[in-house]
Amino acid sequence: MPLRFRIPHVAKNFRFRIYITFTATIALLTAAFAAFYVITEVNGFRATMEREGRLLATVLAQNSRLPLFAENREALALLAAGTARYPSVLYVSINNTEGRPLTEVHNRKETAGGAIDMVVEVTSPGLVSSPEAVLLGHAPVDQQRVIGQVHLRLDTSSARERLKKLVAATLAIGTLFWIVVSLLSYQILKRVTASFNMLMRGIEDIGSGNLSARVNLDSDDELGRAANAINAMAASLELRELENLSLQEELLKAMRLEVQEEKKRVMARLIHTNKMTSLGLLLSSMAHEINNPNASIRFSGHIIAKIWNDALPLLDGVWREEGAFYLGGLPFQQARAALQENADKIVENSERIARVVQGLRDYGVGDRSGLRPDLQVNAAVEAALSVLACQMHKDIWLKTSLNRELPVITGNQHQIEQVLINLVLNAMQAFPEGRGVVLLTTSYDPLAGEVVIEVEDDGVGISAENRERLFEPFYSTKLDRGGSGLGLYISQYIVAEHGGRLELVPRPGGGTLARVLLPAVPEVPAPAG
Amino acid sequence: MQFLRTLVVGLLLLPLPALAYDVLVLQSLREKSYEEALRGVRRECPASMRTVVLSDYAEIDLTRLLREEHPRLIIAVGDRALEFAERQRSIPVLFMMALQAKVRTGAPVAGVWMLLDPQRYLSIFDTLGTRRVAVLYDPQRTGAYLKRAQLASRRSGIELYAREVRSPKETVAVLESLRGKVDALWMLPDLTAVSTETTEAYFLFSQGERIPVVTFADAYLAMGGAVALSFDRYDIGRQLGGMAQSLLEGTSVEELQTQYPRKVLMKVNDGVLRRFRLALPGGS
Repeated sequence: MPLRFRIPHVAKNFRFRIYITFTATIALLTAAFAAFYVITEVNGFRATMEREGRLLATVLAQNSRLPLFAENREALALLAAGTARYPSVLYVSINNTEGRPLTEVHNRKETAGGAIDMVVEVTSPGLVSSPEAVLLGHAPVDQQRVIGQVHLRLDTSSARERLKKLVAATLAIGTLFWIVVSLLSYQILKRVTASFNMLMRGIEDIGSGNLSARVNLDSDDELGRAANAINAMAASLELRELENLSLQEELLKAMRLEVQEEKKRVMARLIHTNKMTSLGLLLSSMAHEINNPNASIRFSGHIIAKIWNDALPLLDGVWREEGAFYLGGLPFQQARAALQENADKIVENSERIARVVQGLRDYGVGDRSGLRPDLQVNAAVEAALSVLACQMHKDIWLKTSLNRELPVITGNQHQIEQVLINLVLNAMQAFPEGRGVVLLTTSYDPLAGEVVIEVEDDGVGISAENRERLFEPFYSTKLDRGGSGLGLYISQYIVAEHGGRLELVPRPGGGTLARVLLPAVPEVPAPAG
Repeated sequence: MQFLRTLVVGLLLLPLPALAYDVLVLQSLREKSYEEALRGVRRECPASMRTVVLSDYAEIDLTRLLREEHPRLIIAVGDRALEFAERQRSIPVLFMMALQAKVRTGAPVAGVWMLLDPQRYLSIFDTLGTRRVAVLYDPQRTGAYLKRAQLASRRSGIELYAREVRSPKETVAVLESLRGKVDALWMLPDLTAVSTETTEAYFLFSQGERIPVVTFADAYLAMGGAVALSFDRYDIGRQLGGMAQSLLEGTSVEELQTQYPRKVLMKVNDGVLRRFRLALPGGS
């Protein structure tokens, strides 16, 4: 494992590192000073010993000058004994110029601690002239003549003892000093780094995400300026954070709204699909249920017409032979025409029913077959009017205004007929009293290139509330009167399938104007000639 | 050319005139104090003089010199000059500045001692009130002087403790032997009794015994001497010059006694005297 992973957490503390560095430095300095002091003291002590020894020897040499000159051994012995009384003196000898000792004193056995030998020459006094020179007025000349020497041997074992004591005392004082200085430095560092720690705590709080945290450091030094800068940065970050949160909330809200809208749209599509599926099933079922009896009716109509055609020569022969007679309460001649006509209408309407059902089935399954590129809108109008003829009440007046110059469109006539039927039926059902005028007009908007079919009524109109939901499937204001809620929905779909638009707008003066706009097939200019 | 040669040879063959002067000054060496004393001589004796500094020559034939130059008087300055001059007996000799001077009976030698009259010292001891005076001497050097001093001391009531010293090494021991016995110490310019090695012994003795040292030179006052009696070198010269002039004027040398310096200079170390509770009226 790398070393850094073994470093305790406290070692990463700034104060601890400074403290360790400081105390280590103090320890080194203390040790250096202690060593320097010990060495200096020892050297000084040795120098002092040497100096004292030299002084002692010099004093002895001075004192022994006259006895030595006079070779007074007794006096020299006394001087040597006096010198030997000093505790550090091991040996004293006073020698003549030949080096022969005139007196010797061995103070004690030499110790193993070492000794210093000190030899000082004994000289005649300087600056003393001979009587003759003095009488001649000669200035004294410092000419010292060596008359012997003093030899001292000094014991230096006391220096060793002193060294031991000095080292022990220095170590003790140094350690005490180090401890005291370390404690003081800890207190000082604690005080000094308190601001730093406060700054670090603030930074860590801010760094951990608490942007409202602040460094409460009230000082004008570098740390104080740093704290102010960090506080300003934190305030700025907090402001940005608040702005981000606000933006995020707005974004979330927008996303939520968008999702809701999308959900609504999806649900609408789901509902639409579901409704369409249901409608498709309904239409298929209806088609199946209608087609069977309708086929029977058409077959019956064909049979009736065939039978009538077969019976008609016979009945004509009877009429001619027997004269007039009645059929079904009608004279034969009227019955003859009416029956033929009704038989044809049975077949014709049955076929229309079959086509309507087929159209519904096609719509239910999304069949777009049957589009014609040359659909005459007026033809579809007339066909629709023929279907509506049986639905017309005598109190409702259906007026038509057809533009005979309409261009053709691409479309399915049956579907256009169905749209018109739905619109006319809605208009007819808009009269509360069951009485009113329905105006159906066709026109062409050359600017837009659209064929316009308008169905107007002066009925009750459409309320604003219902206007928004008119094109929803199964939504009807006439459910109690047999409305399915599919008329406008299907009509809008059909018109949209033809590339057009279906608009329902309030009519000035009351009523509703339903407008179908279908793109006209552009006319191809006839080739010249 | 021939004439010129004859002239030169003739000049060389002419007898040279003798160098005529009255006084031959023999000076041991070139010494300022000697010159000072000679100035005093010339002050009192205007006779013609020739000075020969012995240290300038490796060897001098004095007999020939005297034979050729015929001086009437020899003035010896210094011990070596006196010794040199005493080698002849035909011309009277006056000496000065010769510490070792000894006048032999019958010799034509006189002069001025470098030692002061003992009475001068004795009067100082008398003034100081010190009756027992120790003095160290070498009989070979200052024995005669001390005898005169002892004679004088008897007259003045001063008891001299004269101790012979035959070697400088004896000085210290002799001084030690005088401890507690004397009231003053008389320091003679005796080269045996007073040497560079033993000079301080006098003053140590003085300090130890608390007695004054009366010495012969001012220089010792600085070492602890109490009173110094010294002579004036110029005045010695004048004194000798007077003697020389007298000789030249016809006085015989035997009539001239060797004299003590007539002018005595006294200097006092007041501090030492005060320490020893002594007083010397007129001291400086």
